[in-house]
Amino acid sequence: MTGGGRARRCGAALIASLLTLTLCGCVASRQQPGQAGAAVESALELASSAVETTTLTVTLLDDDRLTSAVADTAIADQIGELADASAALTTLVPPDDDSASARADGLDAVAQATAAVVAARAFVARDAGAELSDAGEVPADASAAVDLLDTASEAIDALLGQG
Amino acid sequence: MSARRRLIDARLHLLDRQVLDVDGEPVTTVDDLEIVGVDGDAAPGEPAHVAAVLTGPVLVTRLLGGDPPPSRWLRVPWSQVGHVGITLDLTVRGDSLDLDWVERWVRDHVIGRIPGGAHDPEEDVDS
Amino acid sequence: MKKLLGLALGILTAIGGFVDIGDLVTNAVVGSRFGLSLVWVVAVGVVGICLFAEMSGRVAAVSGRATFEIIRERLGPRAAGANLAASFAINLLTLTAEIGGIALALHLASSIEPRLWIPVAALAVWLVLWRVKFSIMENVVGLLGLLLIGFAVALFLLGPDWGELAAQVARPSLPEGEHAASYWFYAVALFGAAMTPYEVFFFSSGAVEERWTRKDLSQNRLNVLTGFPLGGLLSVAIAGCAAVVLMPRGIEVSSLSQIVLPVAQAGGTLLMAVVIVGIVAATFGAALETALSSGYTLAQYFGWSWGKFRRTVRAARFHLSMIVALLLGVGILMTSVDPIAVTEMSVVFSAVALPLTYVPILVVANDPEYMGDHVNGRVANGLGSVYLVIVLLAAVAAIPLMIATGAGS
Repeated sequence: MTGGGRARRCGAALIASLLTLTLCGCVASRQQPGQAGAAVESALELASSAVETTTLTVTLLDDDRLTSAVADTAIADQIGELADASAALTTLVPPDDDSASARADGLDAVAQATAAVVAARAFVARDAGAELSDAGEVPADASAAVDLLDTASEAIDALLGQG
Repeated sequence: MSARRRLIDARLHLLDRQVLDVDGEPVTTVDDLEIVGVDGDAAPGEPAHVAAVLTGPVLVTRLLGGDPPPSRWLRVPWSQVGHVGITLDLTVRGDSLDLDWVERWVRDHVIGRIPGGAHDPEEDVDS
Repeated sequence: MKKLLGLALGILTAIGGFVDIGDLVTNAVVGSRFGLSLVWVVAVGVVGICLFAEMSGRVAAVSGRATFEIIRERLGPRAAGANLAASFAINLLTLTAEIGGIALALHLASSIEPRLWIPVAALAVWLVLWRVKFSIMENVVGLLGLLLIGFAVALFLLGPDWGELAAQVARPSLPEGEHAASYWFYAVALFGAAMTPYEVFFFSSGAVEERWTRKDLSQNRLNVLTGFPLGGLLSVAIAGCAAVVLMPRGIEVSSLSQIVLPVAQAGGTLLMAVVIVGIVAATFGAALETALSSGYTLAQYFGWSWGKFRRTVRAARFHLSMIVALLLGVGILMTSVDPIAVTEMSVVFSAVALPLTYVPILVVANDPEYMGDHVNGRVANGLGSVYLVIVLLAAVAAIPLMIATGAGS
């Protein structure tokens, strides 16, 4: 039936154009400075959210409002988010010097945040009874872990305030 | 059965209707109808009658066009249709029909092999 | 007394069965980013699902046929076939999201990786589909799902500024840092999460499973009209918890563990445990419903014998299609895709597929051949037409909004 054939071809064309539009949105290896700035900002916001989540988790654990299992899962999820933020920054191709330095600062802040969150996770593990040596500089108690996280958070906020 | 005649629109009342067997169990939907002329093939303008209910690959050809060879049809002869209402009710059991082979195959080779399949879900219950 | 219990059971299971992983995640994300300024969408969605669940239950009770059987008769094999293909695809996506949700919740409860829980969850879902009686399944899962009331309890315990929350609900505004496009994208997503397409097919087939007749019509209405709005309130409580605890800290929800943190803050490990059991039950129930919907739609289109009330060997293809759907879902999840991402996609595509499932039910509910004198009255048709427009708008806007906002980021 030709009616059906035409309808099917239209449908196929529609799907093809939708797919193309979607892909164009995803593929952008070289950005405008404004876009690069926005990408750095969104990665930093992601990192900030991850740090805040970890701070909340450690505080709740310290208050005995959370089990270690849940705390560990929550922090592990945030480590994944930080990895995404870092990947978003490393795959950026900054079009000018300002963007390049913003990206470098962003990478530093995210790295600091990752270190703080990883330390917090180690604290949770030791709090749950795991035998960890101090060579990894595991925070001694909850407030030490939170201090590390707060410092990382301030670094991120400073960059977000500038941008 | 009443000898009163009813006028039925084949497209509205026969096609895509559920076919139930004599026990009320679903058999298939009417995917297509085999229409046969008084002697041999149907021709436009000539009297014709419904020879069988068809299912199976005819659905694909009905949706997209074309003609499957008669050997690929799964037929229920019209003589086995007892009543036409919201559903088509047959006078025979679904198990005895040829076209039930897919259900039987799945039952014998897949579902029947998994333990616990024959248990009746309604039996151990207050009514 | 027994009747009263039956009545209560119906309402309670409707409340407990309302929330699924899509509602959970979408409401939490929205609460953490937009506060309560999208609650009006939940209200619109609840009214819509009440309308259509009542219609599909009525169709099944009066005509004795389930929706999809009638769709093919009324709209022809092509339209119904397109409907089937789209519904099956969306169903599969939703089923995948639900099984992923079960695995994530069980991961929270234990220290075992979600990937190990995925096959276990799917197997458990299948075992219930294989052996457990329909009404027992519905009642147990629905009642356990009620434990999600822990979110409402948590919201009260958090002692928020109710005036401020009410202001957010009544005067929706865009928080700083968010674009209008994201706001509308999440409005569509929230709508798709509330008006789950599979609900229509599941509800009407379930009515046939439980042998509803005209006498059950008023009970159906009562269950739907009290249960679903209360379930909607649970969704709002989830958003509220996120708004009160997560939004001020700038936390954006992207994992199940973040969604339960406010509950821990409010009520400690006990309330958290209650809520986690509720999440497992709700997602498990939704997995059962979507798996059954896959089976129902296929079987009813092709005229196979179907139903949990039949012995499984008498409905072989029906059970095989559910097994295939479960296996496909597990396959998708084992590629280590993030179940939260699958959930977010499933609610958006649910919004896109909504017209396909709701137009037929509106048509059939108006057909006197099937409905006799229980056809839609003026109120139902009036509301139904309004919602048709809303549903079409949401469906058309969903994909462009998704592209424009990069799926809300």
